[in-house]
Amino acid sequence: MDKNRIRAIPRRKFLEMSMKGGLIIAATPSLLGHLTSCTPQSAAPGLDLEKPVLDRVIAKALSRGGEFADVYLENRISRQIIMEESLFRSGLYGISQGAGVRVVCGDKTGFAYTDEISEENLMRAAEVASYVARNSSIITPVNIATAERESFVSVSQPLNEIADERRIEIMERANQAAMDYDPRIKMAKVDYYDQVRSRVIANSEGIYLRDELPLLFFIVETMSEEGNNRHMSRERVSMHTGFEMFDRHTPEDVARSAARESIDMLKAEDAPAGIMDVVMINGWGGVLIHEAVGHPLEADNIAKGIGAFTGKVGQKVAVDNFTLVDDGTIPNLRGTINFDDEGTPAQHNVLIENGVLKGYMTDILSAKQLDMERTGTGRRQSFRHIPIPRMTNTFIENGTDKPGDIIASTKKGLYVQSLSGGSVNPVTGVFNFTCREAYIIENGRKVQAVKGATLIGSCMGIVSSIDAIGDDLDFAPGICGKGGQQAEVTCGQPTVRIRGINVGGSRA
Amino acid sequence: MNYKELAETLVERSLRLGADSAEVYLQTGRNLSIRIRNSDIETIQEAATAGVGIRVIVDGKTGFSHSNDMSRSALDDSISRAIAFARLTTPDESNVLPSDAGYTEVEGLYDPEIARVSMDRKIEMALKVEELAMQDPKITHSSGSSFGEREGEIFIANSKGISKTYRSSFCSVGVGVVAEKGDQRRTGWESSARRFFGDLESLEDIASGAAQKAWELLDPQMVRTQRTPVIFDSSVASSLLGGVISAVSGERVLQGASFLQNSMDQQFATSLLTITDDGTIAKGTGSSPFDGEGVPTRKRVLVENGVLRGFLYNTQIAARAGAESTGNASRGGYTRLPGIGTHNIYLASGIHSQEDIISATDRGLLLKSVTGYGLNPVTGNFSGGVSGFWIEKGKIAFPVEGLTAAGSAEQILNGIDMMGNDIDMNRSFASPSFRIAEMQIGGS
Repeated sequence: MDKNRIRAIPRRKFLEMSMKGGLIIAATPSLLGHLTSCTPQSAAPGLDLEKPVLDRVIAKALSRGGEFADVYLENRISRQIIMEESLFRSGLYGISQGAGVRVVCGDKTGFAYTDEISEENLMRAAEVASYVARNSSIITPVNIATAERESFVSVSQPLNEIADERRIEIMERANQAAMDYDPRIKMAKVDYYDQVRSRVIANSEGIYLRDELPLLFFIVETMSEEGNNRHMSRERVSMHTGFEMFDRHTPEDVARSAARESIDMLKAEDAPAGIMDVVMINGWGGVLIHEAVGHPLEADNIAKGIGAFTGKVGQKVAVDNFTLVDDGTIPNLRGTINFDDEGTPAQHNVLIENGVLKGYMTDILSAKQLDMERTGTGRRQSFRHIPIPRMTNTFIENGTDKPGDIIASTKKGLYVQSLSGGSVNPVTGVFNFTCREAYIIENGRKVQAVKGATLIGSCMGIVSSIDAIGDDLDFAPGICGKGGQQAEVTCGQPTVRIRGINVGGSRA
Repeated sequence: MNYKELAETLVERSLRLGADSAEVYLQTGRNLSIRIRNSDIETIQEAATAGVGIRVIVDGKTGFSHSNDMSRSALDDSISRAIAFARLTTPDESNVLPSDAGYTEVEGLYDPEIARVSMDRKIEMALKVEELAMQDPKITHSSGSSFGEREGEIFIANSKGISKTYRSSFCSVGVGVVAEKGDQRRTGWESSARRFFGDLESLEDIASGAAQKAWELLDPQMVRTQRTPVIFDSSVASSLLGGVISAVSGERVLQGASFLQNSMDQQFATSLLTITDDGTIAKGTGSSPFDGEGVPTRKRVLVENGVLRGFLYNTQIAARAGAESTGNASRGGYTRLPGIGTHNIYLASGIHSQEDIISATDRGLLLKSVTGYGLNPVTGNFSGGVSGFWIEKGKIAFPVEGLTAAGSAEQILNGIDMMGNDIDMNRSFASPSFRIAEMQIGGS
């Protein structure tokens, strides 16, 4: 069974380019496109295939049968700089370009991809993908025409106008702030990473779409040491936006947040073991719901009839005031997508409303299989992968409790401030989480930092055990892995309390 | 295209464009994936791909670029990008490339037969393994079966004279099933992965393995929070010992982020623990003639009878540590700079069968599944979610799930008191079952 997992390690890829960083550039025709501007029509010239070519590829894909075919062209330019132990260790620049052709025939999918975007290679991929539809009836695809989609990504300082010196400066500021925070900070690692992903989507329903998504991902890791105690912590910010992200999230803030955890956790004792009430911090605490409830609400396992929430639409599955939303339209967040990788517009999907299951997150295939709406959540890691149902920005809606009151009214329990990550089996709904920073709550107060705590439970158990929901909704960026594919997501929630989670620590 | 020549040419071009030294890592590959569910094809994916990663060193500074556009203009641009990017970084005398230190002969990395087997036969195998697994009366659903294959070539050339290549193949067949009973739902997955098509395990064994995993933990009971002996089944040993491997990474040690950084030649674990990394095993799924930067692979004992004997190095980290590369440069494909990784890891077998270990355990836990991050390489602490069987009076009493298990490095690594003999050397992390004298269990 594929496990769905949010990884603790940052993905090392992707960026966009700058032209003011003193770069030596061979002015090849393929590069001039990148240099002139970041407007969608010129940023990735490899994607400039004429529409009639794509029509021919789609027709070829459906030439043996099948009811749906699409072509996905992608160009990704990435840049990464890594600073460790106050040294700039390496700079990485990458270009990845290619195209995938897919044919859907009943419940079957045929798929092939090519690294080289040319009519010849695309026709060959279409031929391979069409194999799956042997002997079925043949339809005529609709000729493609440009479709309109709203954009939820705004940029005021385009990445391609930022000199590399400014990237370096941001990293130096973060490193300095981390090392200055406390002499017990022994190591800092700063990972700067940005990318521009240009994509073209064309399908047999006549859709043609093209856009460009910039992405910034900035990570600071720090390690503290005192005697035999060490603690490694991490803070990340990531948005689909321009360099203005660093006005909202200064490198110093990011670094100090990581360093604070490293220092505070030096005092940590071993975590206790047993069942206890758990208060989860707002923002990144939402990763627990992402895993425990979000993944089981993705429609692929529902369509197979094996998902934990199969057949439960309209049923009460959670406590009364629990509302869970997946929304790919929140401006500039890491999980925001404008439209998904099948061309369906992103939208505000209420998954669970006041405890009642409202629907699942679908892609084109699972929506068809379940006879449900497309929800704009068919996503793919790259042209080398087929689309599958995925989350975007997933969050618990605000409740009415005050975060301070939630802690104050907890007699004995665990306050979870930071999680490394976790995973869920979407069929059984059984999940696990590793806490990086947690505190024992006694008589309504956080009294002692504890390390090494694992949280385990089941999705059904957790949504019926939430008994307090705060009014402080916040979001945090994550990397979500599923079926061998990674996706950029945001997790969100207000402070919540869950009664009776099994906590695994090394102390009785 | 002659990729060996291309790699060598790109090294020369890098030097001409201003690099002091250069390395080209070129990867080509072909892959096929067939997924079956409910006796019909779910997906067929097929593709061929190629890409190149270029590492340059300029004035002691490292730059890197990668591209899957293999046109001359794109590759020239990639070189220029890498050189430009190098200028941003900090000079470091440890930024060096390896010289040619020869070649390790490793048998059985490539099987031309895989590509010759017909598509229909591969589909038939995936159909069959699902059908066999569904014949188990306790199995209620299929979550799908699959056949996968990939083959490819690696070309490495650098300005210190290395120009090497090898070809490898890989195939696998597997199935996942669900057992439902009342409100309970459990999943089981089993697969066989080999370099040679003819070495794949029988479909019957794979199917029955998946089915058993799905139903064997049905009707679990809860046990109370307590300290108890814990037996790690051979299939979950890596979830614990993976953290030890991570802790002997030379880079982690240099960063001061390893609980074993000051333990060289010291006894940190029970004498039952011997761990070897070997890149030269014939047909090994982790084997290769050379590592991710062209350094020959070898067999190395990392832990000998509980004594730490070796850290893992690539060329750059070795230079920083004043050591030699151990042939452990890993490469997550052509898009990555070399990291540090292992080849085939295995533990020395003990003398006990798993049955012996169980019958020697008056009361305790046999782990069949572990979730979570495993042993933390920074602190050596372990905490995870676990399920398996409860043992009473030396016999399996009932299944358990929803428990946690935790312990410190000291408790765990010095606590291994029985080592099994049930090792499966076909795994790239091969371990027998073993028992830890006492761990903290979290339950009701």
